[in-house]
Amino acid sequence: MNAFSRILTIVTLALAAAVGGLAGWATAAPGPHPAAWSSNDGGASATPDAGVIAARPAVPPSPLIFPAQQIPLRFDHARHLKLGARCDTCHVSAPTSTSVSDNLVPAEAACRACHEIDRARPDKQVPAGSPAARCDACHLDEAGAPWMPSPASREPARVRLADPNLKFNHKLHVGRGVGCELCHGGVAMKALATRDDLPRMPLCLGCHDGKQTTNRCGACHVTEPDGRLRTNLASGATAATGLIEGTRPLTPSGVLRGFDAHGPDFGRHHEQAGKEERYCLSCHKRSECVDCHGGVVRPFDIHPSDYVSLHGNDARRNTPDCSSCHRTQSFCVGCHQRTGVAPDATGGQLGAQARNPFGTGTQLKAFHPPGWVNEGGATSGHSQQARRNIRTCVSCHREESCLACHSADPARGGGVSPHGPAFAGTARCRALSSRNKRACLKCHAVSAPELDCE
Amino acid sequence: MRRFGRPRAGRVGFFGSCVGLALVASLEGSARAYDFSIDLATIGQGYQVRGFAPTGADELLTRRRLTQVLNLSIFDIEPAAWHGDDADRTARNVLYFDANLRFDSDFGGYMTGRPLGADEIRELKQSQVDVLWAFVGGRRIGGRVDFQLGRQVHYDQLDFYAFDGADVLARINRLFAAEAFGGAEVRGELPLSSPIYELDGTSAGSRDPATRPAQNSQIRPLAGAAVVFGGDADAASPVQARLSYRRTWAGTADQLPGEPGSGVDDEKVGLTASGAIARRVFLTAGLRYNLLLASFDDEQVAVRVRATARQQVGLEMAYLAPSFDGDSIWNVFASGAYRDLRGSYELALDPGLKLYARGFARHYDAVDGDPTDVARWAGGGSAGAALRRRHGVVRLDGYFDGGFGGRKTGADLSARWEMRPRSLQLEGRLTGYEWKSDQQSATDKGVVFGVQAGGRFRLGEGTRLHLLIEDNFGSFYAAQYRGLAVLEVDASI
Repeated sequence: MNAFSRILTIVTLALAAAVGGLAGWATAAPGPHPAAWSSNDGGASATPDAGVIAARPAVPPSPLIFPAQQIPLRFDHARHLKLGARCDTCHVSAPTSTSVSDNLVPAEAACRACHEIDRARPDKQVPAGSPAARCDACHLDEAGAPWMPSPASREPARVRLADPNLKFNHKLHVGRGVGCELCHGGVAMKALATRDDLPRMPLCLGCHDGKQTTNRCGACHVTEPDGRLRTNLASGATAATGLIEGTRPLTPSGVLRGFDAHGPDFGRHHEQAGKEERYCLSCHKRSECVDCHGGVVRPFDIHPSDYVSLHGNDARRNTPDCSSCHRTQSFCVGCHQRTGVAPDATGGQLGAQARNPFGTGTQLKAFHPPGWVNEGGATSGHSQQARRNIRTCVSCHREESCLACHSADPARGGGVSPHGPAFAGTARCRALSSRNKRACLKCHAVSAPELDCE
Repeated sequence: MRRFGRPRAGRVGFFGSCVGLALVASLEGSARAYDFSIDLATIGQGYQVRGFAPTGADELLTRRRLTQVLNLSIFDIEPAAWHGDDADRTARNVLYFDANLRFDSDFGGYMTGRPLGADEIRELKQSQVDVLWAFVGGRRIGGRVDFQLGRQVHYDQLDFYAFDGADVLARINRLFAAEAFGGAEVRGELPLSSPIYELDGTSAGSRDPATRPAQNSQIRPLAGAAVVFGGDADAASPVQARLSYRRTWAGTADQLPGEPGSGVDDEKVGLTASGAIARRVFLTAGLRYNLLLASFDDEQVAVRVRATARQQVGLEMAYLAPSFDGDSIWNVFASGAYRDLRGSYELALDPGLKLYARGFARHYDAVDGDPTDVARWAGGGSAGAALRRRHGVVRLDGYFDGGFGGRKTGADLSARWEMRPRSLQLEGRLTGYEWKSDQQSATDKGVVFGVQAGGRFRLGEGTRLHLLIEDNFGSFYAAQYRGLAVLEVDASI
């Protein structure tokens, strides 16, 4: 590799570790940044850039984190706050809540503190300026129209809220001085508050930055018994709502680490993200890796149909990288032997190559072009291919195929050196010879002077 | 002597895990129930493989495979008295057991006439039983230490690797952790062991004495260490780095006078680092130095930019030089490296529509300065669109590659649709492509069309059946069939 690309790599390593790190830590101060997780829904809920405390983000939250809800009510938070109400005037149990399962929506009793509701008089009139008491002052029907009791509709439409797929402890946050407005500030300027007004992950990361408090994913996200994040989440298919059915995977959108964005092409191209085993395993089972990288059934979108016909092209180019899922000398050799492609289809005996009908120079099926092996000793087609990607060769051949010509053992004949010019003086020669001379001894005699790389 | 050593080495991880599990369980005075998860998959495949008869004529070999996979996980097997939470409410002193076993059987004409006896190779055995991993693990022991004891699989910049032994990671402080591991490499020649994470280079089945076939059965000790920067992986940390080292070696089989008593099979140092700038620009780089070859053999630099909330652009440079098992002569033969420049672009459009494109250009180094070395370029790209709706997704992909290796041009149209929520999902795929080899362009070329159709059925809680059929036709076949049936059972208690 030339010096320029080596320097580039090292500089980028340093940049990534130093500048990127420092910048990352520096920008981890409280403040907004894009959402980090998406619902793998093709972008519908991914990555809003807003997220300012008091402003409503442009894109609704992921239904996986905050499932759809139904709130058939009319309510004006801004007006109530102007009239002097405080958050805990109505949301009495919020400051002591320890679970997202707690129902923090005020019941009718909380309204009665000001609204003189009388269920026997649904159309009760109150003096001008007094809080309304009619049913339709607050309740809406399924269609969103003001609701009054009728023979056809004796009960108002119910508020239906599903639990968020998160862990959250209001009591803990309040105890640490986090006021309601830090997370729910935008509500003060709104009428009805919905799931669209719930805080997003960027806001959480303002404090959960690894310095002020934990930035561990499992501190907020629901986890499985084995400690992994739960990613297959019901998006509201509960008895509580019945609004959305089914489950969908929660996937990173790429904001946290960039290369982890699970876009449509991620399954085929996750080379960069896949270097961090522990990060992947924080969501995935180990078996999910092995199902593809060493499994017996590949995902059907990795290779096109009838890939056996085409695979030779890709194998020579090594794109996609065959070795990421297949070991050439077991997976490839087995199939090539059985399908009559390998030269030693009957096994590994010496001389078996001669029985193969498809080698160079036959008329049946010449796998290699004319001139593939130049027995005169000059550079030939096969040497360039072998030096460039010998894995293609070894999907059929074993070392003994090479030794037939390239061994320095006079008893074998040949004696064609596979070493490039001045190999003996190279660091590669010295490293190979000093670390494992067994490979050298496959061609050279124990006492051969060339083993000293001089 | 080695015949005794082989099975012991192969089973040490598995039995080590079982012994560890039993020891931990015995610490508890009375019987107790454990949380556990079982994933079972029974996979049946029937398909036709193109082959060549001894006469040279094309033939289709029928292959039928039955594979059974068992993944067993048991959680919180530590005594209840050990339970505790860290300050950030992370469970500490957690012990667990994880194992994955695979039983693979082959039938059909594909297995008839295969090499047998001394010529039989593992990949063509009628049945194979593998323990892919089986280990007892611990998380945050004393709040600081993670460990795994038994057969385990890992991956990082150094590659995938599997060994029977121990891996221990200790958190030094909030930012640094140190890891050490050691054991015996998992090799295909050992019992209950798959070769899938073994380095290429030396091939089982060789009977040429010069290749020292007995070396394949040698136990290979493995040891390594790593330093990790960036805190826990399970955290929203903007920067991570890992420096790791691994060495594998083996004693010499059938040693003759004058030969070395041992040799290194693999020795590498790897460094990866990644960081974020303002959570919009992401950098990552990896570097691997192969001490066996005294050269860098894997280098990667990548940047990814979130240009807007809905657009991401990526650029990568990579350098890869071939390397093999230290016992292989191919470390000498294979000296040509290549470097890639890759680019990618993603655009998310509402509602649920994503467009993506990717391209690469590759340049092969001239091997050893050989002036006749030609065809040193390759390149290509792909583009696609995925439209996701509430009940399904439709996807269209097109691709083209050319240069060294040959040419291929094709497209896929696939769809998956949830007919009945959670219980019935239908899927299909149409494929068409044309290809031509650059080596034998007169004969190695063809056109293929493929059709797939199938469905996934939920039979009950945690039980699913996946059926798929495929037919291909084109230059080589009027019809080529493939069938797949997967029965999955997940149970968690």
